[in-house]
Amino acid sequence: MKIRGDIVQTYRDVHSWVGIISALFLFVAFYAGAISMLEQPLQDWLSPAVHLPAPVPLARTPELLARIFADYPEARENYTIVLADDAAARGRVIWSPSRGQARGPVPVRAAGLDADGALVTSKPATSQTARFIDVLHQQVGLPLPHETAMIVMGVVALLYAIALISGVIAYLPSLAKTLFAVRIDGGARKRWLDFHNLLGIFSLPFHIVMALTSVVFAFHEQIFSLEHMLISPTRPAGLHQGPRPMPMPHRERPSPTPVLPPMAILEALTRQAPGFVPETLNYTRMHDRMTLRVTGHDDRYSLRGPTEGFANLDPSTGRIISADYMPGHQPAAFAILTTFFALHFGSFGGVWVRWGYVVLGFGGAFLFYTGNRLWIVSRRRRERRSGLMRDTRGTRFLEALTSGCTLGCIAGISAIFCASPYLTSGGEYGSVSMLYYSVFAIFVTSGFILPPPVAHRLHLAIAGIITLGIPVALAIAPQTSLLSPIGGSLTLCTVLIGFTLLFASRRPFRATLPPQG
Amino acid sequence: MKPALTSRDWFPKVAAATLPGAGLTLGVIGVLGCVSHGDVTPRDASGQFLMWLAALIWVVLLGTCFLFRSGRQAWLSLVAANIIVWSAYGLTRMLLS
Repeated sequence: MKIRGDIVQTYRDVHSWVGIISALFLFVAFYAGAISMLEQPLQDWLSPAVHLPAPVPLARTPELLARIFADYPEARENYTIVLADDAAARGRVIWSPSRGQARGPVPVRAAGLDADGALVTSKPATSQTARFIDVLHQQVGLPLPHETAMIVMGVVALLYAIALISGVIAYLPSLAKTLFAVRIDGGARKRWLDFHNLLGIFSLPFHIVMALTSVVFAFHEQIFSLEHMLISPTRPAGLHQGPRPMPMPHRERPSPTPVLPPMAILEALTRQAPGFVPETLNYTRMHDRMTLRVTGHDDRYSLRGPTEGFANLDPSTGRIISADYMPGHQPAAFAILTTFFALHFGSFGGVWVRWGYVVLGFGGAFLFYTGNRLWIVSRRRRERRSGLMRDTRGTRFLEALTSGCTLGCIAGISAIFCASPYLTSGGEYGSVSMLYYSVFAIFVTSGFILPPPVAHRLHLAIAGIITLGIPVALAIAPQTSLLSPIGGSLTLCTVLIGFTLLFASRRPFRATLPPQG
Repeated sequence: MKPALTSRDWFPKVAAATLPGAGLTLGVIGVLGCVSHGDVTPRDASGQFLMWLAALIWVVLLGTCFLFRSGRQAWLSLVAANIIVWSAYGLTRMLLS
């Protein structure tokens, strides 16, 4: 395939500039995003233990509910039954005193029955470390109010999409001949270029999915309201997401219809949807009716959310009312839409795909890092050729920022993992956030104060040491054990990343520059 | 011989893809929405497909706007496309109501 030379040159320019503007945001988004693939297990692992008796068998849940409702009438409004026994160790029944879907942690209460059948309640503390990393991912590392951050994220996503399109137009046709070549000794520019191309080509489909889904995540509300205005202007814009409105009952009832016990619901569910593994039953009272949403997964199908899909059931009969988001039972159109989300979340194909996404996420972060390095080295080479002996302000600025932001992000995330088991409740959101941004700010500031090569090697070494400190800090802490699947995985990742950083800090960064003059 | 393409006039091109480009995208969504369904709510699968399509069209416009010969040509083409698409939208609504 031959593309006209001037088009290629135009798109090379476009690719460099949109790349340079968005790369550092994208680095944080991908590094944090890779870790957020393990958000749920990390959160469970880092949260302090809950002091509750062993969960009651599901068959005795109605008895537990009756006692909860007697002591906490507000729980009737909205409560959740946790089905799996290991997850139920943090409470077979949990409810939240405040309703609604506020962002940030919602205080919950959990309850169980002791040996004598008396009610025991607890306010389980949940570590916000993993949640913070997820928010960092969604907000491309910006400590802004969520709505503002999502607009910025949307702009970054658009730039990312342009960078992909321009990269493909400018470089893909000429890439075939140098595809697998990584010229380690061909000078810094060629090495970064080869790394960048190799990563870029082999993760291109992943990046196309991420760019488009991120644009949608950022702007879907605005697009929906415009769509609504254009297509049916007479009605007020409805809230999107969530299930279709359920058909109203034929006659108004003064009090909620009696709900079936959980065992009967599960039986009805197994009959209607064999293969679906339910995880929680969530009951909500809406206008004198109870609604029931069952979350769960089915390993044969992709999921609408990061870890689960859901169905709405009639709580008094167990009949499935809406299966729009129920894996394996979705109408074809919804199943296709679910695929788009699942491709972003990696919520298909089980644990191997999930780990594949972790690797692709770290690979993506490195792709953006190599892009910036390449820009710096090429620019410096051009400047030297034109006779400048020192870096221009632009080159120096970007070099300081690249080193400070990327390694500051790695060190900040590592630092909150190290600190998490020693903070109250396994890390409250505010303290975790404070710690991350302090480390990040120190890295960025020192990047500007110290001479670039010194700052870079120092950043690599410190980030490496903090990362290697994670397994040590978590092994010493009483409540976290490395001898668990998540502990082992985390140790493996931190050792790999930590030693890579230390290794990179070992040799002088400038030694690989092309000869000057 | 056409003059060679450069990246110098990127700003008017990107501005064209951003503003009239967004208008064009919405117009296409409007026409498709009216023709295909007539009453699209975001809870509906077709409403969601249109939303994804909107993102896709806008991204492609932003990515390909550099191929216009000049910023002026970008604006002229996209504004003309807007006029056509929005007329089609008006016509469709008139015919359907």
